[in-house]
Amino acid sequence: MRVAIVSLVLATALVGYFLLPTPTDSQSATYELLGATGPPGFKRAREPQEFSFPQDHGPHLDYQTEWWYYTGNLVSEGGDRFGYQLTIFRRGLTPGDTQRESDFATNQIYFGHLALTDIGEGEHVALEKFERGSAGLAGATGDPFSVHLGGWNIESLDDTGSQVRLRASEAGIGLDLTLAATKPIVAHGERGYTLKGETDGAYYLSFTNMETQGSLEIGDRIIAVRGSTWFDHEWATGALGPEATGWDWFGLQLEDGRELMLFHIRTKDGGIEKVSGGTLVEPNGESRWLTVDEFEILPITTWTSDTTGTTYPSGWQIAIPAEGLELVVEPWIKDQEMRLNIEYWEGAVKVGGTVNGQGYVELTGYSGSIQGLY
Amino acid sequence: MGSLNRTMRPLFRAGIRDLIRRPLFSGLMLAGLALGVSVVTAIDLASQSAVRAFELSTDTVVGRTTHRVVGGPTGVPEDVYIEIRSRSGIIQAAPLVEGLVAVLDFEERPMRILGIDLFAEAPFRDHLGPELAFDPDFRQFFTEPGMVIIGEELAAANQLVPGTELAVQVDDHIETLTILGIVSSLGSSDILLMDIAAAQELLGASGRLSWIDLIAEDPNAVEELRSQLPTGLQIISSSQQRETADQLTSAFRLNLTALSLLALVVGFFLVYNTITFSVLSRRTVLGTLRSLGVSGEQIFTQVVLEAALVGLVGSLLGILLGLLLAQFALALVTRTINDFYLLLTVSEVTLTTRVAAKAVALGVGAGVLASIVPALEAARVAPIQVLRRSEIEEGTRVWVPRIGLIGLALAAAGSAYFMLSDDSLARAFLGILIVVLGLAMMVPFATQILMRLFRLLSTRVLWRLAVRGVTSQLSRVGIAIAALMIALSVTIGIALMINSFRTTVENWLDITLYADIYVSSPSAIGNRPQARLSPSLEARLAQLEGVATVEAIRTVHIQGEFGELDLTAVDPRRVRDAGLYRFASGSARQVWDRVREGAVVISEALEFKNGVGDSLMLETDAGPRTFEVVGVFYDYSSDRGTVLMSREVYMEHWNDPALSSLGIEALPSIAVGDLAESIRAELAGTGLAVQENRQIREEARRIFDRTFAITESLRILAVVVAFIGVLSALLALQLERKREYATLQAIGLAPEGLERLTYLEAGLMGLSASLLALPTGLLLALILIHVINVRSFGWTIQLAPAIGPFLQAIVVGLVASLAAAVYPVSRLRKMPIAVAIRGE
Repeated sequence: MRVAIVSLVLATALVGYFLLPTPTDSQSATYELLGATGPPGFKRAREPQEFSFPQDHGPHLDYQTEWWYYTGNLVSEGGDRFGYQLTIFRRGLTPGDTQRESDFATNQIYFGHLALTDIGEGEHVALEKFERGSAGLAGATGDPFSVHLGGWNIESLDDTGSQVRLRASEAGIGLDLTLAATKPIVAHGERGYTLKGETDGAYYLSFTNMETQGSLEIGDRIIAVRGSTWFDHEWATGALGPEATGWDWFGLQLEDGRELMLFHIRTKDGGIEKVSGGTLVEPNGESRWLTVDEFEILPITTWTSDTTGTTYPSGWQIAIPAEGLELVVEPWIKDQEMRLNIEYWEGAVKVGGTVNGQGYVELTGYSGSIQGLY
Repeated sequence: MGSLNRTMRPLFRAGIRDLIRRPLFSGLMLAGLALGVSVVTAIDLASQSAVRAFELSTDTVVGRTTHRVVGGPTGVPEDVYIEIRSRSGIIQAAPLVEGLVAVLDFEERPMRILGIDLFAEAPFRDHLGPELAFDPDFRQFFTEPGMVIIGEELAAANQLVPGTELAVQVDDHIETLTILGIVSSLGSSDILLMDIAAAQELLGASGRLSWIDLIAEDPNAVEELRSQLPTGLQIISSSQQRETADQLTSAFRLNLTALSLLALVVGFFLVYNTITFSVLSRRTVLGTLRSLGVSGEQIFTQVVLEAALVGLVGSLLGILLGLLLAQFALALVTRTINDFYLLLTVSEVTLTTRVAAKAVALGVGAGVLASIVPALEAARVAPIQVLRRSEIEEGTRVWVPRIGLIGLALAAAGSAYFMLSDDSLARAFLGILIVVLGLAMMVPFATQILMRLFRLLSTRVLWRLAVRGVTSQLSRVGIAIAALMIALSVTIGIALMINSFRTTVENWLDITLYADIYVSSPSAIGNRPQARLSPSLEARLAQLEGVATVEAIRTVHIQGEFGELDLTAVDPRRVRDAGLYRFASGSARQVWDRVREGAVVISEALEFKNGVGDSLMLETDAGPRTFEVVGVFYDYSSDRGTVLMSREVYMEHWNDPALSSLGIEALPSIAVGDLAESIRAELAGTGLAVQENRQIREEARRIFDRTFAITESLRILAVVVAFIGVLSALLALQLERKREYATLQAIGLAPEGLERLTYLEAGLMGLSASLLALPTGLLLALILIHVINVRSFGWTIQLAPAIGPFLQAIVVGLVASLAAAVYPVSRLRKMPIAVAIRGE
């Protein structure tokens, strides 16, 4: 699912980076930059392929876009709740590796988003960072698995990449967390291949539940926390269909030991792309693909950002009749808007209904900037 | 107050009417003042525009940077940047790679390559604003070498569009750059913006950065970083960076300003002359006014106001004219700054309110100041008193020796002032101004003496009449002669100084330019330390047939205890001629033996400006090191100071094997021209300049003349102003002496005789001014050479006696004054005798 998100984020963030303040001024440039169908030379994600780990946790330079996405719900020893997000994106400007004399030379751009939600204080802070993928400024490796962007680091603690340490600190917020997967890797869709448009898809792998402990940094405070994290790793080359306008993504960890990933790609005519879908992960780690017909997502309220004026859905009823699930998903706090070079909403949520739980939700395309991009 | 205003208004109107009634005089006065103001304004504008342009281009580069990490000649290792960048501290960092290239398509114009990392840039600079027009695709900026972004000013001036290719000379090779985009926010038309990787590759600087920019608000963080930096690296604040242009060129610009003020001084005399004449010609009216109850104070105020108005109008005209002149001045000023100091392109002058206000203040100030004496004179007029002209002249004759004495005292005081005033350049100029004013005040007295001598030369009536004419009108012509004298003496002084300078530099070139052939980057970049030629060139040239020796020379900027210095690393086996040293500990041979062991020789500018003693600290790659100073050498190539060192010692302390230039001596068996040809053939395709000794000398001479072009033009302007002064003095005399002329004609002097008389008088004035200008000019030359140059640039110049400037001054003085008489003579012909004589 997040192929689309990442494409959009990448497109807008990169262009927005150069074309401050409004990315909409330069949609043609953006379009040019990304190429509606992706630049020539990159591999397309069009069929399932075999993975081997830890290599496939690392970068896939033949594909244009890739990202490593960590979101989690944490609790301090005193019982205070926190949400966190650490994402590192990779975008290839040309396919493959580059052979040039300068250490700075690169065809890879890395950028990241770091966000903390202090649920008790009702505060959400988000920031971003860009680096070129060279000279040790940013980069990723498969064996051992690692991704780094400036001082932000994702480092594997074991041979398989199922245990990692996350470290990032910037402008008064930070985290230092150790994550251990409690279930095997989940390969979404057809053996890890999920279709995003009519022809193209993305490779999509997750650790849907990683036991997490460590500390958060908020201002002068260092807060010891534990909890659980959801990890997504996706890569693709220009996957979204021409009708897509945005998407809603849910990654929910239920107290009965199951995890649920769902996404809707919204279309111009107000409908939902038929390639939308989801994955239900059983307590034993087995997973099942859900087609768009197997579930229902109904927004129940909206929230409007004071800062950007954008209105997002802010609470949902989710039903999966075949599983007997009737869930109510609500943000822990309303304002978890990511006011970065691209605006979107990504935040910690709580789950009620037939079973309780927690998770993260991502909402894009609500600020209108996606129109015309694809 | 009300009554005063009521009285003043008609008075003022009467004054203005008087100015209007005499359009010729008012016009000349205005012209003189306007010209003086325009020269000051033009120089001011040019100098300011140059500094502003540099500031703008510095701002483009400095942006919001607070500090900069700098290293030795090869810059900063890139690892240091990666380390700083990956800290999660409060310091933001951006890497820069800078270098100079010569754009072959723009007549080898030097331009600055600025390699940046766009992802580190945003907090620092606004190179790439919203209107960024990348075409076809900015991906290439990162992924393809040789992609540049340029400013729209440069693009418009050279019809450059995205996709245009530029051939550039980089060190010893030629590369092709492609224009990828054009932006409006570059701030400088000298910059070719590149991705940092592409810039490193283009400049052969992989692994190195020119410097690292920092934004660090917390001084503790800076100190902490400073303590952690590898040896050889330093942190400097960007305010230091910004001051450079100002400091580097301040002496040069102050010299120009001082020169431009001379034109104003001459203009000042003009106003004085005209106002005095206007007052005198209105004595009857003023006397009547006094008898009608107008107070002396009111008349004083009125005359001063009149002068202020003339000053105002003159200033405004001067500003307009100055804007025109500034275009020329700017070209000359920037040229010199480019030759000696910094890379700079300034295409336009902008009139700032500061410059305009200064011009008005100077113009009005000069007008008011010049009017005070005549105004006092006017205020003293008794009611209905009509003084005869002769009475005023009687009075003047009493005043002449007194003013002369005051002038002598002033000149002495002025000399004492700048001699006693430590090293300050501004004070030296103030001292000169006082001396010049003092000398000017001595002019009437000196003229009197001269005229007595002239009287003896001939017994012819016309001659005597002319001599007496000048003597009896001393209150008028004295000022004009003084103005002309100053202009001429400045001409002599500057010409002598330039001539001495040129001789000194030529002698110096004889000593320093020992080799037969020099190989360097094209001249525009060759004398800049950014050039990096391959060290392999040395061996490559040495094996050519006909080559006796090859000396590898490296010239760089380094940090030392006195800030940034030029360092030249040479081969100490070649002992430089003994004539090169102002001071040496031991013989030239002994000095160079010590240099081989690690000592240095410094330029006199460095010694003069900083008082360097026996040793000198320099920042090497291994941290600060102290070098023994074993000699001081003459150097006219830089005014901030040069250190000479053995190249082997240099390479021990700095990891920089690159070369700046090579000096080649030919075997006696081969003609230098032939060897130069074979070297050119060997180096074909490198774009390197292969110049014979003779060509370098010519180039040096060209740069020298270029440097003084503006000085030359300034003195011409001073002569023009003085010419106007003589013209207006002659016209004034003529008007005053109508009756005298009429009488002379009535008693039988032919009209041609009157004309000849006028020419004779003009000639006498010119001659007096010229003769008086001779010693004054010599004095000025001495001051310029021994005080101003030393204080400005720290250079020793030997006075080279020359007769030319003196003869030239006499010719110019005579021609100017005779030419100034042409118009008055033509008026003479139209003068109706009957009307004139009726007044008797």
